[in-house]
Amino acid sequence: MTDASLSPLALAPRAGGRPLAIAAAVVAVLALVPLVIADKFILSLGSTVFITAIAAASLHLIIRTGHISLGHAAFMGIGAYASVLTVMELGLPFAAGVLAAFVAPCLLALAIGPLVLRLTGKYFVLVTFLFGEIVRMVFVEWKSVTGGANGIFGIPAPAPVFNDPAAYYYLSLGAGVLLVGFIARLLASEVGRAIDAVRESERLAHCSGIPVLRLKVTIFALGCGIVGIAGALQGHFIRYVDPTSYSVVQSLNLVVVNVIGGMQTLVGPLVGTLFYLILPEMLRGYVELQRIIFGIILIIVMAFLPGGLVELGGRALQLVRRRAGS
Amino acid sequence: MTALLSVTSLHRQFGGLTAVRDLSFDVAEGEILGVIGPNGAGKTTAINLVSGVIPPTSGRVEFRGEDVTGLPPHRLVGRGIVRTFQSTTVYGDRTVRENGMRGAYLGLYPGFFATLFDTAHARRMRAEATAVVDELLDWLGLTEVAEDKAGSLPYGHQKTLGMIIALASRPRLIMLDEPVAGLGGGDADHVRDTIKRVRGRGITVIVIDHNMRFMSGLCDRVLVMHQGARLAVGTPQQVLADPAVIEAYLGKRHAALAGH
Ligand SMILES: Nc1ncnc2c1ncn2[C@@H]1O[C@H](COP(=O)(O)OP(=O)(O)O)[C@@H](O)[C@H]1O
Ligand SMILES: [Mg+2]
Repeated sequence: MTDASLSPLALAPRAGGRPLAIAAAVVAVLALVPLVIADKFILSLGSTVFITAIAAASLHLIIRTGHISLGHAAFMGIGAYASVLTVMELGLPFAAGVLAAFVAPCLLALAIGPLVLRLTGKYFVLVTFLFGEIVRMVFVEWKSVTGGANGIFGIPAPAPVFNDPAAYYYLSLGAGVLLVGFIARLLASEVGRAIDAVRESERLAHCSGIPVLRLKVTIFALGCGIVGIAGALQGHFIRYVDPTSYSVVQSLNLVVVNVIGGMQTLVGPLVGTLFYLILPEMLRGYVELQRIIFGIILIIVMAFLPGGLVELGGRALQLVRRRAGS
Repeated sequence: MTALLSVTSLHRQFGGLTAVRDLSFDVAEGEILGVIGPNGAGKTTAINLVSGVIPPTSGRVEFRGEDVTGLPPHRLVGRGIVRTFQSTTVYGDRTVRENGMRGAYLGLYPGFFATLFDTAHARRMRAEATAVVDELLDWLGLTEVAEDKAGSLPYGHQKTLGMIIALASRPRLIMLDEPVAGLGGGDADHVRDTIKRVRGRGITVIVIDHNMRFMSGLCDRVLVMHQGARLAVGTPQQVLADPAVIEAYLGKRHAALAGH
């Protein structure tokens, strides 16, 4: 019998050990940032990175089942509106808003999941794209509730203390650690093993006893619920919600983040998020150039790096090790 | 003897084409039943129907006395029916052991929250699954390649691994779709031995092939299919002597000769 600690494949927490230590170190460094840098802009950028990372990671979870959703931002928007309305219209605390932000998109995903998840490949992409457009139209047209195209302004911070960018930085970092940690844990568990099996050979997985559709619907609903929380965090951070923030363009951005970072591991969307949000800041003032460079990088990644930037990092690491070894 | 599997008047239509028509047969516990017939006879479709991969247009499937008609594959695996595939049967990018672990899924799946929090229950089930898989790898001689990628194995080993994936769920009935297609003579003999050993463990076997010689040395009974329907069923000797079978296989003239 194989000792579980020796066989990485027999382990449930497949991301245990060294990756866990690296993740802890990264979080520790991120937690120290506000103590060293008091710059409001940097801290706000940090919050944006964490919120986007949650959204991208939740899409990664769905992508791992073999379905690329082009409607993910719509679920993020539903979460944002749900939270904002819960807080502003019902006068409930932010925690209730977050709960609503999870439950509303989750329920909607549970309702449409059994239908759309039967579609494969481009058909799923197409239908989620249409779904995203429908949701955006509802945001625009349902004026009495959503404020129409203008959206909703004057959204309060989750609590007065979170008017401070450093406080919001910690709030979104905390949420990021919890939610991305949850996704990592899920992917490393037996459920993750089933998810990978389904993506690699749905037929074989189904005939090995994996309830394919139920698994896909569950994961889809979880991913949509989690991105709803990201939506709530974003709405209460930038203090307004409007339909364009959750349009198909935003959905596409989330897919691009996953493609650039890499779709094979959870690290991919995290690296992709960093790249996607930090690069434009470094090229500020060169808006045109920004797009061109981004486009070129995207093409290069798609053509030569099926594993995304993470693969590039992995190859570089191997090279360094080999040099160090010889 | 009561039948483990009992199929009654199974029918499956694809548009205007009837792939399986009025098919009835029984399989006894511990038996090896061969299903034979030319390409397009409906053998794979028959297995697809019994394993739940596609639902029948009409007819009935009973397993251990219960009606299981139209149940999806994952539910049937839970009841003890598994099958292998004619083509791709392994997860090529994964190690041999991981392939086995995926096959053991039902046996090792401890529930969503148990696996998420890695409870004692979850760890126990995983250990049990690991033991099942390791035992199977050892039993069928794949222990040495347990950490190799399944896709890098020779074809014969991949076929064996496909069987291990199916066996890892600890089935009562295993259905093998052309397990020796594409294998050389030596490998085919090896697979035949393996199938006999599987039966030796008390597992009932349905095996598809179109080579009568291979089947005669392996099966207790053979079901001959022709154009979606059952042409004959019986011991290999009975079936080989059946005029209808001879006619379908060798033509009318031979059938007339055999009748003498
Ligand atoms: N999914 C399907 N859709 C349409 N026709 C099918 C499908 N599966 C099988 N068939 C048809 O049913 C007939 C029986 O096929 P099959 O069961 O694969 O035969 P065998 O396994 O005996 O070679 C063939 O004519 C085949 O083309
Ligand atoms: Mg066939």
